[in-house]
Amino acid sequence: MAQRGDDLVLSSIALRIASLLVVGEGVLCGAVSSHARRWGALARPNGGLLLRVPLRGRRASFPVWYLVKVGQPAALVLAGLLAACARTSNPNETVLTFSGSALGAEGTLVAKQLQRFMQLNPGVRVELQRTPDDASQRHQLYVQWLNARVGNPSILQLDVVWTPEFAAAGWVLPLDKYGPPRAEFFPATITANTWAGKLYALPWFADVGLLYRRTDLVPNEPKTLEEMVKSAQTAMVRRGGPRYGIVWQGARYEGLITGFVEYLGAFGGRIIDDKGEVVVNRPEAVRALEFMRDELYGTHVAPLDVLTWHEEEARFAFQNGNAAFMRNWPYPVAAMSDTGQSKVAGKFAVSPMPASGTAPNGHSTAALGGAQLAINAYTEHPDAAYKLIAYLTAPEQMLERAQAVGQYPTRPALYDDARLRGAVAIPLDNARRAIESATPRPVTPIYTELSEILQIELHRALVRQAEPREALNSAAARINALIERTGMRKLMSGGAESTPSSTSPTASSTVGHGE
Amino acid sequence: MKKISRLGHEARLGWTLVAPALSVIALIAIFPLGWTFWESLHLHELRMPWLGKPFVGLANYAEIAKDPRFWAALGHTAFFTVVSISLELVIGLFLALAMNRVFRGRGFVRAAVLVPWAIPTVVAALLWRFIFESQGGIANALLVDAGILKQPMVWFIQTSTAWVPVILSDVWKTTPFVALLLLAGLQNIDLTLYEAAAVDGANAWWQLRHITLPLLKPAILVTLIFRTLDGFRVFDLIYVLTGGGPGTSTEPVALYTFNALLQNLRFGYGSALSVVIFAITFGLAIFYVRGLGVRLGGEE
Repeated sequence: MAQRGDDLVLSSIALRIASLLVVGEGVLCGAVSSHARRWGALARPNGGLLLRVPLRGRRASFPVWYLVKVGQPAALVLAGLLAACARTSNPNETVLTFSGSALGAEGTLVAKQLQRFMQLNPGVRVELQRTPDDASQRHQLYVQWLNARVGNPSILQLDVVWTPEFAAAGWVLPLDKYGPPRAEFFPATITANTWAGKLYALPWFADVGLLYRRTDLVPNEPKTLEEMVKSAQTAMVRRGGPRYGIVWQGARYEGLITGFVEYLGAFGGRIIDDKGEVVVNRPEAVRALEFMRDELYGTHVAPLDVLTWHEEEARFAFQNGNAAFMRNWPYPVAAMSDTGQSKVAGKFAVSPMPASGTAPNGHSTAALGGAQLAINAYTEHPDAAYKLIAYLTAPEQMLERAQAVGQYPTRPALYDDARLRGAVAIPLDNARRAIESATPRPVTPIYTELSEILQIELHRALVRQAEPREALNSAAARINALIERTGMRKLMSGGAESTPSSTSPTASSTVGHGE
Repeated sequence: MKKISRLGHEARLGWTLVAPALSVIALIAIFPLGWTFWESLHLHELRMPWLGKPFVGLANYAEIAKDPRFWAALGHTAFFTVVSISLELVIGLFLALAMNRVFRGRGFVRAAVLVPWAIPTVVAALLWRFIFESQGGIANALLVDAGILKQPMVWFIQTSTAWVPVILSDVWKTTPFVALLLLAGLQNIDLTLYEAAAVDGANAWWQLRHITLPLLKPAILVTLIFRTLDGFRVFDLIYVLTGGGPGTSTEPVALYTFNALLQNLRFGYGSALSVVIFAITFGLAIFYVRGLGVRLGGEE
């Protein structure tokens, strides 16, 4: 009598066991879970990295957004194949592919600039290869393509923390032989793109951590972190004052590192010093982390909620008038200046994050973000690719970019240009000051794993699972183990000279020689 | 019985007929598994081509054995599996018993109960995240109104409270599935047994203990297999709800593997982790089938 039910159950168990076998398998498991990961990105727009801008519009209509997100990789693969097939036309023509977004104002701008470049350089055709706006998705695609030695896109758009990784892997070419105008860019943006003494990418636009404050509650820019906390407390106890003193990004993700880097600099600490030593457990760093924790549990100026917050949650709180201060990137300025959706329009100002008043070596520090352009080591046309990079990072194109999509130029000279004033929402000297105080996150090929270790340990300390000193000691030990495991020790201790000049894609170990 | 040669012939024919099916299984199941295992014996970091891809034997497995984060993740997975499945079985049994009764609108109720199960896990997880997320979230509002909480709390920053939404959402989502499997089991029980028991004066409790539960045992065991294996591979729910946090204190093995494999692109180590998860779930399946004697259909 139970036969039919059993048959059903039997076949579904067989199916289940088959799928179990499949899911146990690494690569397919990857496909399944990276799919889930895209979903996760909905809840947490990628922070501290790149281009939150295009994501914002799409968050509202989520099914459509989902279709776009999921359809995108499939479409990309397909488009890549089709493009590869179509690319057989004129043999005298140099064909470059540029990786970027084809959406919205950004897409229009890129298309326009590429078009102009082609007019100036007859014989060169540039195709736009659509890649995801989400930084970690793009990273994953790039790494897969480069492992397969694919020469497209010929120009890679790198996040500020990827350059050393791509350089050490031999995936991007050094630019030194083209004589790039290093001195014309902000020094921090050049440092971030330099690995083993060579420049591997040119900064395209900059993103920088800023301190927002409510001018009606705190008229003057705080000179120190301590003053900031005091002003926040004063603001909170005022009648009708905001619920929160300061809001930042404290969830366990890259954004937490960018915030920590700012407090760390304010206390004169670093993650890795110039000699390549891990110094993240030194007293200055412990004090920086203690200061962050005190904001949560001591002075109570920051709500515990920030431990689950990303950029957008912090923006909502500040935009709705619930916070006196906010740490964030420049992108919310536009939305918060719009009286239609913002309660703080006209009532806020930005400044660089202040230094601590108690730390002798502390200095005002901003985390550096933004995009860089680099040459794919497997491209057939590196010289043409450099020409395009030089064109896109030239002052005129940067100005146009600032005017069209509000992204900050990486050339200090432009901040004296009257045309920039109308383009960016922040007073120019504030913007420039912030970028000048910007500090790259550790410039190392193992950044992503290093960052994961720090994210976990910082979060453990901030949720009080561990004492700051203990958490940072553990982070330092694990980072040191990572450096050993990956053979980075020698290279990170300033081994610039010992690095081979060869970056030929076929050399299996561009870095290994240095060992 | 036929002659032996005939049997051999039939066996050959049989193998020929199932060959296409077997080759599909080999292609989609056994080949990738073998490849993953081979990969797990190498040091292979996609991000660090300069390390090459040397054969390292069981070094990746040794690293796993020494890795406290792996053992913690294994503990979290076991905790999640045991707690959520226990709740799902109990609640699912009640639901199944209720749905098994004859009442008006029964079809509608059965369909309605399935709704949570039909929602994609990630969407369900997002819903629960919104419910528990901020201090102004629905969960906080309800609990404060009911006087259970004095003030709103942040659920996701303490290990103990971070598990609440995770387990609640899994129970909410999967109980209907459990109920349905149990309901199928209930419908296979001969009603005359209850009639006979009633004639003999057995009350409802006695009937449940001595008729329903023993005869439901196969269905319960099948449910257990499904749910344990699912529980051990839990990924999307926790990825969306807590991301494994605070710290890594709700991180399951699947999420850790995902991290190693796809975030850090450590193919060798990540493959070794995949193989370990596979071995564990496979071991569990064998244990259920052999140890607990779950019938995989047909008569012995």
